[in-house]
Amino acid sequence: MIDLLDIISPQSSAYLPWILALLILPIFSFATTGFMKGKAPYWSSAIIASNLLVAAYLATVFWNEPLTIRGNWFKLGENQFTYSFYLDKLALTMSLIVNFVALLVHIFSTEYMRTDANKPRYFAYLGLFTFSMMGIVLFNDLLFIFIFWELVGVSSYLLIGFWFQKKSASLAANKAFILNRIGDLGFITGLMILFTQFHSLDLDAVKSLMIMSEIEDGNWVVNFMQGGKEVISSMDGRWLSAGGIALFCGAVGKSAQFPLQVWLPDAMEGPTPVSALIHAATMVAAGVYMLARIFVLLDAQALEVVAIVGAVTAFMAAIAALSQFDIKKVLAYSTISQLGYMVLAMGVGAYSAGLFHLITHAFFKAGLFLSAGIIIHQLHHLEKGGKKFDPQDMRVMGGLRRKLPVTFFAFVICSLALAGLPGFSGFLSKDAILLDLAVWADIKGGGFYIPEVLAFMTVVLTAFYTFRMIYLVFFGEFRLPKILGDASLPNKLKEGNLWVTVPAVIFALLSFTFPFGFTLNADHSWVMEALKTPMYLVPESYAATSLLDVPEETFHGLHKTVNIVSILLALAGLFIAWLSYKPGAKLEKTFIERREPVGVLGQISFYHWYQNSLYQNIFLKAILAKSRALAWFDQYVLDEAVNLLAKLNVVIAHVTRWFDQVFVDGLVNLTAASVGKVGQLTRSIQSGNIQAQILVTFIFLLTLILLLVV
Amino acid sequence: MEHLLSYIVFIPLVGAALVLLTPKAYEHLYRVLAISSTGLTLLLILFAVTSFNGALVPEISGEGNLQMMEKASWFSLKLGSLGALSVDYFLGVDGLNISMVLLAGIVLFIGAIACWNIKEKKKAYFSLYLLLCTSVLGCFVALDFFLFYLFFEFMLLPMYFLIGIWGGPRREYAAIKFFLYTLAGSILILIVMIGLYNSVYDPIKTAEMAGLSMAEYAISDIQSMVLEGQIDKTEVVKSFNMLHMADSANYIPGSLLDKSGLGTLFGQPIRWIAFLAILIGFAIKLPAFPFHTWLPDAHVEAPTPLSVVLAGILLKVGGYGLIRTAYAMFPDAAFHYAWLIGFIGMFSIIYGAMNALAQKDLKKLIAFSSVSHMGFVLLGLAAMTSEGVSGAIYQMFSHGLISSMLFLIAGVIYDRTHDRMIENYGGLAHQLPKYTVFVGIAFFASLGLPGFSGFIAELFVFLGAFKSASVIGAIPAWMAVVSTLGLVLAAGYYLWTFQKMFLGKFWVKEKKWVPALKDLTIHEYLMLVPLVILIIAFGVYPSLLLDLINSGVESFIDHLTASI
Repeated sequence: MIDLLDIISPQSSAYLPWILALLILPIFSFATTGFMKGKAPYWSSAIIASNLLVAAYLATVFWNEPLTIRGNWFKLGENQFTYSFYLDKLALTMSLIVNFVALLVHIFSTEYMRTDANKPRYFAYLGLFTFSMMGIVLFNDLLFIFIFWELVGVSSYLLIGFWFQKKSASLAANKAFILNRIGDLGFITGLMILFTQFHSLDLDAVKSLMIMSEIEDGNWVVNFMQGGKEVISSMDGRWLSAGGIALFCGAVGKSAQFPLQVWLPDAMEGPTPVSALIHAATMVAAGVYMLARIFVLLDAQALEVVAIVGAVTAFMAAIAALSQFDIKKVLAYSTISQLGYMVLAMGVGAYSAGLFHLITHAFFKAGLFLSAGIIIHQLHHLEKGGKKFDPQDMRVMGGLRRKLPVTFFAFVICSLALAGLPGFSGFLSKDAILLDLAVWADIKGGGFYIPEVLAFMTVVLTAFYTFRMIYLVFFGEFRLPKILGDASLPNKLKEGNLWVTVPAVIFALLSFTFPFGFTLNADHSWVMEALKTPMYLVPESYAATSLLDVPEETFHGLHKTVNIVSILLALAGLFIAWLSYKPGAKLEKTFIERREPVGVLGQISFYHWYQNSLYQNIFLKAILAKSRALAWFDQYVLDEAVNLLAKLNVVIAHVTRWFDQVFVDGLVNLTAASVGKVGQLTRSIQSGNIQAQILVTFIFLLTLILLLVV
Repeated sequence: MEHLLSYIVFIPLVGAALVLLTPKAYEHLYRVLAISSTGLTLLLILFAVTSFNGALVPEISGEGNLQMMEKASWFSLKLGSLGALSVDYFLGVDGLNISMVLLAGIVLFIGAIACWNIKEKKKAYFSLYLLLCTSVLGCFVALDFFLFYLFFEFMLLPMYFLIGIWGGPRREYAAIKFFLYTLAGSILILIVMIGLYNSVYDPIKTAEMAGLSMAEYAISDIQSMVLEGQIDKTEVVKSFNMLHMADSANYIPGSLLDKSGLGTLFGQPIRWIAFLAILIGFAIKLPAFPFHTWLPDAHVEAPTPLSVVLAGILLKVGGYGLIRTAYAMFPDAAFHYAWLIGFIGMFSIIYGAMNALAQKDLKKLIAFSSVSHMGFVLLGLAAMTSEGVSGAIYQMFSHGLISSMLFLIAGVIYDRTHDRMIENYGGLAHQLPKYTVFVGIAFFASLGLPGFSGFIAELFVFLGAFKSASVIGAIPAWMAVVSTLGLVLAAGYYLWTFQKMFLGKFWVKEKKWVPALKDLTIHEYLMLVPLVILIIAFGVYPSLLLDLINSGVESFIDHLTASI
């Protein structure tokens, strides 16, 4: 029988310092950048650049042969807690992406934050973020993933609230942290379940023991040795599904899935480069990454939940993106929607496709955010000395392609990838997801066609809102001069300098198909080859049908149909956008005066299905009201009861005293008085007669003794 | 070092005597005396902790492997047919209390530094503070119930005066409430203690009394001789030894609290009633719902150093008392009532957090967060698993550090403006950036962020509480799951408070406060920085504490499971 302690026995490697460097460099940046004043951007960029080099070096060494390192952390009772690193293709790819995007964002921010007095703090926070994110990527232990998961939440909190003098920013930061925490309750519950069953949270141990698990009479049973002692773990089989769903809750928070996704649009309060790095490319993808890490531990039921949540999120967010005015809000909803695709992919078992989409999305969405950042930054310059306006509002934009040609190029390329048109990266990855989804729906049948329908509808919506954005921002007339009544504004508007345009263009170039393989078939991409879908490890009766077991021909048969349908749908979305928002179209002409959409559907879209108001006006209010009620109860019922008890004691004491004074003391006085009276009487009778007195005393004594004895 | 524990306990008392002897003309020396005597105590404690051998497995229900033991007969009385009474001066440390001694050393030292700015009646203040130190330390190392109780009661006296004289506007009310409430609890403990004394004998002394040589007989022989009545009743020496009380074989057959005793009260075995009484006694100290209402008042009125000591270490006496007496002596009853205790723990976590959410006074908010965090101690204990109990001890330790820091932080702002209302401040980060950093650290540490000690503690409690159902069956798994709600609520009340007070535009209610709002002083750094370092150290490297307590907890769990 396997001994748990053998599985998690320490494993050393000469490369440990290199891996630690990936963590230490960013945290060093966090610790020191704050003191660098004006040099902060260069200092922290240099550190992140070296981190990227380390990641690249490790990738070349361990690409074909994954590395595991493990060491002891502490011992709790009989349980050995370990830390472990696992560098496989997935971890290496992610660490490259994280550091690469972080580096470009650092460079971009150098210009973007140039005039901000607190920029050392900003760059320090970026270091903290990179550190935490690298922790999630490198560790192979669910407890460590959770630890860095929370730390990533803090860096996100700090960066969303970076401009903390703005109330909206600090509230958005709170919201992000708290909603993430709600998801993390699930995560921690998942940890409890796995730990109770397997006595370890090391992923290698969990996986090995999951393979050995069996279902007996509805119970989830596993036998193993722990330090020579035999352990039989058994719990209700439903905990197996519950564990998977619970861990997924963590991803629901971090990756902004329904029903916790409302924090992400608000998170746009942070500086735009942060949105690109954290809230588009890397942190929000951590949920998907985590799902990939625990993919083999999910049973059929948990995977169904994952798939449904993903599909619903993708669709809901795409609807919301249709009607926003704020360019960052459109991108935020779009991010949620795309994350929905990735989660959906994981749910249907399309592991490779989901991760592929994670990678392509990281680049094209970072590119979109940075391009939007350039627009916002350049418009913001116009504000100087003039009237205030909202530089994120698309109503003040229009016709910008002439003034910002490079940005226009980057934005359009990334948009084409987002819309999923052939030749661009998003096409490959989205196609792979849709194909696997179609196969999955055919296997499952019935209601499981709904996610497929939602996913395909989202294709139209995505193309529509993307091109709506392009038309409104880059085509037609520049609307700002009209709004402010200042005709000189167009001449003042300039393209951003190289600090900002180069990163955006790099991301645009990475949004073509070629970095991922010269092909229009996702299966031929090196990413799909590298990140192969693994087999499920849960007991057979709980396992979902793996797509690996589906014959190759089924995929071939569907591939063409899926391809054609998705391209047609994307073109349809593009066409509708062109009809309604091309220069001179009715909607475009009135756009400048638009306030908020009329009609139920428009409202639902604009207010994102009223989810926010539901949470704020019902849940939050109820909780706060309950907390006030409890505080009232505590102070006026519980505490008052204690006081009452004390008062009651005082009252009883007073009553006793009164009783004591009036009755007991009165009786004593009465006795004394009557004795006196009797004495007076007797004195007059017996004065001087000693013998008589002795006699009387004797009689009294005798009576007393008699009384006592009898 | 011989008598190390005695030095640790009584050095503050010597300090108190020195304060009393120092003439008023030298009153500036009082605080130096206080800091140096608590500092010396801390050094000795650190020495004790480093020389403590964590690998030795203590017996829990006997003196085996007890470390730094000091035992001397204090007094004994022959009571004729009632046997003999013997009270020992008995100190010692094992895995269950060594961490609390360490915590006490740290918190009392930091509390002494916090006393720096006391201005009125210094002589009385510092001597009382040092007296408090002695009684707290005594509580943690005393292993004779009589001695323990003496120290336990003696904490009340200095605390009563310290709150009642140097406290806030409603100090008299708060002091009396604190005193009476805790006294009510200790009466319950006293009753049980007398009951225990009447039921438990000291096998070694009994052997002596009966003229049997311990060289010839093992303790178990003596125990069976008592059981079979071979030793005369008059020769049975009764004992207050807390370790003997934990061994069910040391109960006089047929006595009140003997396991096989027939006594029932209200239809329940007397043992169970005794357990409940002692549970309530310590739950008041802990405090747990519904016995917590003295805490917010005491905290709000107490001066900063006393709040620190109160939250940092006095509350832990409650948790430690539960472990050492209620659980160790009545494991069967503890198992029987595990559901109730777990439920109270879970309820306290959520109730405390919900209350904290509604508070307007910063100190009250922290007080209710203490109620919430102490709920974890109960939940972990109720689980009766090694993870749960380790978590409970870890939580006590961690909360000692974090709540000390929180009350120091509340003190910083109160010192400057004499106002603690959350709504009266806004955007303090602009005016007090360094202070804000420390507040942020304290808040995040308290809301259980990984990297800080609180996370480790709460994680252990969750793991242990959830595991309980499948290992020992003490509490159901859903209690752990429901308790996680406390984490979200904690994030809620801390982040909203932080946002209201420190973020946004700078604003304070009274203009005259503005010049007073200066950033941290060196003296404040001196208290806060070590705490931050400790909180992070124990959050990143749990072995620091676990190596001390692991074998003690293991043995404790074995003891519990063997007696169920």
